[in-house]
Amino acid sequence: MKKTVFSLICLLLLSIFTVFNAVAEEKRYKRTEEVYVVPDVVLTNQDRQSVHLVELLASDKPVLVDFIYGTCTTICPILSAGYSNLQRKLGEDSDQIQLVSISIDPEYDTPEVMTEYLSRYQAKPGWDYLTGSRVDIEKVMHAFDAYVQDKMSHYPLTLIRSPEGSTWIRIYGLVGTKELKQEVDALYKN
Amino acid sequence: MIKKISLLSVLLFFIATSVLADQPATVAGYSPEEAMRLGERMYREGLLPSGEPMQALVQLDIPVEGTMFTCDNCHLRSGLGTVEGTIITLPTNGDKLYRTFRAGAEIETRPARTLLAKPFQSGDLRPAYTDETLADALRNGIDPNGREFDWTMPRYLLDDHEMEIMVHYLKNLSAEYSPGVTDTEIRFATIVADGVPQKDRDAMLLPLQAAVKDRNAQSRHQESRARQGPFYKQDKFSAYRKTVLDVWELKGPRETWRDQLALYYQKTPVFALLGGIVTGDWSPVHEFSEEHEIPSIFPVTDLPVLDDDWYTLYFSKGYYQEGETAARFLHNMKLTGDTPVIQVFVDDPESHLLASGFRQTLKMFGQALYVDQMADPATLKSTVFWSDLKRRYPDAVFALWAGPGGVQALPFITSEESGPEIIFMSSRLLGEENSALPENVRDIVHITYPYRLLTQKTAIEKTVRSWLKIRNIPISNIDIQSKMYFLGWMLTGVTRMMSDDFYRDYFLDVFDMMHDESYAIATYPRVSFGPGQRYASKGCFVAKLSKGAQPELVPISGWIVH
Repeated sequence: MKKTVFSLICLLLLSIFTVFNAVAEEKRYKRTEEVYVVPDVVLTNQDRQSVHLVELLASDKPVLVDFIYGTCTTICPILSAGYSNLQRKLGEDSDQIQLVSISIDPEYDTPEVMTEYLSRYQAKPGWDYLTGSRVDIEKVMHAFDAYVQDKMSHYPLTLIRSPEGSTWIRIYGLVGTKELKQEVDALYKN
Repeated sequence: MIKKISLLSVLLFFIATSVLADQPATVAGYSPEEAMRLGERMYREGLLPSGEPMQALVQLDIPVEGTMFTCDNCHLRSGLGTVEGTIITLPTNGDKLYRTFRAGAEIETRPARTLLAKPFQSGDLRPAYTDETLADALRNGIDPNGREFDWTMPRYLLDDHEMEIMVHYLKNLSAEYSPGVTDTEIRFATIVADGVPQKDRDAMLLPLQAAVKDRNAQSRHQESRARQGPFYKQDKFSAYRKTVLDVWELKGPRETWRDQLALYYQKTPVFALLGGIVTGDWSPVHEFSEEHEIPSIFPVTDLPVLDDDWYTLYFSKGYYQEGETAARFLHNMKLTGDTPVIQVFVDDPESHLLASGFRQTLKMFGQALYVDQMADPATLKSTVFWSDLKRRYPDAVFALWAGPGGVQALPFITSEESGPEIIFMSSRLLGEENSALPENVRDIVHITYPYRLLTQKTAIEKTVRSWLKIRNIPISNIDIQSKMYFLGWMLTGVTRMMSDDFYRDYFLDVFDMMHDESYAIATYPRVSFGPGQRYASKGCFVAKLSKGAQPELVPISGWIVH
């Protein structure tokens, strides 16, 4: 009888602990691990330089990718404020992380528009905003399972490449800097 | 008598105080008008009255400045909000904020909501905001129900003084319907200037009038539903208004057009201008639209005003875009730099605009024109003129912006053995002279072509032709008719989305939120929209004319946008 009561108490404590733990760890975003094959496309950055996407994303540094556009109403400003704050938090080490924003409105997002956009968000070196032909942009969106038929239908997405380069952490949702940094640190400080 | 005067005084006092209660004498120490101006600057530019950027926090720990993004990024200029993917931004205009937000029918229903049986009475989702609860929402992200907003909504750091201005602005933002709307009608106007050829006038006007007729056809008994529709769909049905399209005819010199427009508007205010066609550039109408804050949607012009203005939505940058494309093509082919570039253009508005697009875009790439010369028709046919240029700059790229006279100049440019390898010309400017290009220059003449390629045009144009045929409209200018067909098509979607929020800024906000379109537009491969984007088609091809008696335009570039 005593043993049964003890077991029940243990089970109760365990379940309370599990529930508490689950609540404590509840995330405001969905996190998955994915495998992506980066398409072999040449895009253009804010300085009108041609960028081989495969090479840029194969950087030795941690690489983050998001999909935005210059006249976006809600999602992109928050994503970009997040990039901006991450660079600020990193201070002098801001160029130790490669941030990449890929335009999903290539008709409007010219290098001039992108330069002005980055300047508004006080971007430092290490944050590249890429545009290209619609065909190439769609290839990239498809490759990262981020395709939307129209930019107004897009959703908040940040992708973090693992050190080996083979897998990516896919963050669906809008996150704070602390959460984003934790995700990067978890990948790169092990 | 004294008693009567005293009573009158008391009455006047109460009337005066009740009027003043609606509009405070001062807001944070400013006049209401100045407070609106300062509030607008906070809302649209993210700047505090001091001129410093507003400060806020998003996603719990991300500080943002007003110069990064502003209230109108998400809530839009009208304050009516937006839906982007999975993120819904709620309205922040005065009318919606200071009204109880109910489930189901938000407006007063017929029969009155309170007379309905309890189960049919929609509940209150959110009480009306007060100045205090609105301030709490902006600072702490808490609505009048005590519900916390998602952290996508910034929490603003505003002192009481700044908050008073912001609340005053929001309270007055899109608080009353724009002019041109009654309980039963929404009124638009289109503009036609004398001097426009009859066939072009018909091509603009008849499809537009047919589109309006279709909208008023009552195919779904919209008027009846608006009056007597079921209460649970009252919101949807009550938005219906009969569409009225006035035609504003402009006569006489262009300098008098703005006054003529103002008179038309004074006599019968309209909600927006649709289409329209004039001789010369669109600037008089553009300026009128800006001055009176009247949206002007898709005028038929290739001579738009190139500015960051708000109220006119153009199909494209017109001729400027072709000049821009030629420069981009050169830059993308890495032909700028050491290669001399020579521009020759004639003295007409079209060629000037082309030259301007070419010049300014090259300048952006750090390339100066070696020669940038306006020439008269006689000079274009001068062997000496061209020989001199070719002698001075043997490897130069030429841009020749001239109408049919340009084709006549080609033999003089290419008369000697060492002719240029690239000559840019505009297909729009050449018009039907495109196919008159001599065989021997077809390899070197690079034609800017800002339309959908003919091979991809047929299917969509067929739809337009059928639509016109059913409405007994003869084909007079299929290009203009296709554009007006598209305008009518867009208007259906935009007014449906606008619902009963008849605010001009929201009308434009909704256009800005429309999906990019390649299905219903025959003229261009793609038109795209976005907040503040005012030129829908953004690219252009560079093509060459094929050899033979029945030449075709063959693109040698993709749709150039960068």
